[in-house]
Amino acid sequence: MLSTKALSPSIPMDDNAPNQSTLDPTLSTAALAALESAINAALKYDPGTRSALAKLAGQILAVESTQPPFTIYLQATKTENQSLRVFADPDQQCSPTTHLSGPFLAIAALALKDSSTLANSGVTVMGSTALLSDMQTLLKQMDIDWEDALNQLMGDLLGHSLANRIRSLAGWAQHRILSGQRLVSEYLTEELKSLPAKPELESFYQEVDELRMSVDRLEQRIARIIKT
Amino acid sequence: MTEKKTTHFGYEEVAVDEKAGRVADVFHSVAAKYDLMNDLMSAGVHRLWKRFTIEVSGVRAGDKVLDIAGGTGDLSFKFSRIVGENGLVVLADINESMLKVGRDRLLDRGAAGNVVVSQADAQFLPYADNTFDCITIAFGLRNVTDKDLALRSMLRVLKPGGRLLVLEFSKPKSSLLGKVYDTYSFKLLPFMGKVITDDADSYRYLAESIRMHPDQQTLKNMMDEAGFGETKFYNMTGGIVALHKGIKP
Repeated sequence: MLSTKALSPSIPMDDNAPNQSTLDPTLSTAALAALESAINAALKYDPGTRSALAKLAGQILAVESTQPPFTIYLQATKTENQSLRVFADPDQQCSPTTHLSGPFLAIAALALKDSSTLANSGVTVMGSTALLSDMQTLLKQMDIDWEDALNQLMGDLLGHSLANRIRSLAGWAQHRILSGQRLVSEYLTEELKSLPAKPELESFYQEVDELRMSVDRLEQRIARIIKT
Repeated sequence: MTEKKTTHFGYEEVAVDEKAGRVADVFHSVAAKYDLMNDLMSAGVHRLWKRFTIEVSGVRAGDKVLDIAGGTGDLSFKFSRIVGENGLVVLADINESMLKVGRDRLLDRGAAGNVVVSQADAQFLPYADNTFDCITIAFGLRNVTDKDLALRSMLRVLKPGGRLLVLEFSKPKSSLLGKVYDTYSFKLLPFMGKVITDDADSYRYLAESIRMHPDQQTLKNMMDEAGFGETKFYNMTGGIVALHKGIKP
């Protein structure tokens, strides 16, 4: 169940409180419009992520940064030319499916790292964790078709050859990073036995989720019994 | 002999029954190049003002939205995407020329099915009581002859809990910005109007009508008196534009 805790002030603030430090909504709206436009421009060249986002259409992820304090909302859409809507909700009227909160740097790290846990991340989540997990997976699997973008910019011949070079360079770098991560992770879980393995963790989180749902169902049953 | 009731048309005093016709002439004249002029006059910032309006509206899938003085359909297009196939957007304008431009633009951009176009006077809205979840009027209220009557009409067609959003030019917060803004709107604006639409007078009227429009607090009080609750306003771009919001109790 989603908590009804009030979100912290979104970027634009009410001007009826003259003593409050305010950022002109024109500026904050411009920043969000630019962010939305950049994300959707990138998604234009990633049909896989676009169609996965369309399946999440209507669901809203609230990202509340406690430091610096601001809240933005990401909503998957399935309209033409727009896969993700990025907005502030100054009057806090929308009901997010998932609400993520924590310091901005911790949230950014969570989006980038390959981890299924929020433990010790400094980030708390309310509402459905399924949307968060889907969004995180999408972000990791994002595969922008740079070649198509480059082709549109500089023509097929130049675009293709540049894309080939970028691809081989990126592939090599990714391989290095992944093998380094794998070695460290194997050492910690298999040799030192200081951390549980990923499948164990995932099974644990699944059990926690099931328990949470059972508790919700039980709560509903009890409420119904009390009512009758 | 009875004295004829008058109202403002820019800085001119005109008879109440004349104003609508004079305003209509202005918009017939600028309709074809309205969007281009808006972009030039505001350096594109009017898109941000409208975007913020949509964020404050809290409109969601399935809602019914009335976009009064919707003109060329900027807000209606965005709303049609948000309300989805189960929602409804009514693009209303008193001016036939503006409405035609708006209808064509919506069709060209692929907004159809959940959008209807309606020629309507904001003072006498031809819709049933308690119909809409949200009403917006962007840069339109200052052209309405009897603003109080229009606000009451909007209140009537809103559902209880529904929101009214009035986006309108207002009074800059700083006097320095006010002076720069005055010079811009009385010198540069009519000149741009002359060059682009060959109609300096219409743009002079726009500048004058902005000065005659109630300031932030006055409009908020008018909304309170009309019966709206939880009224408030957001100043944008230093108060050049303000977004007022009220909820039907």
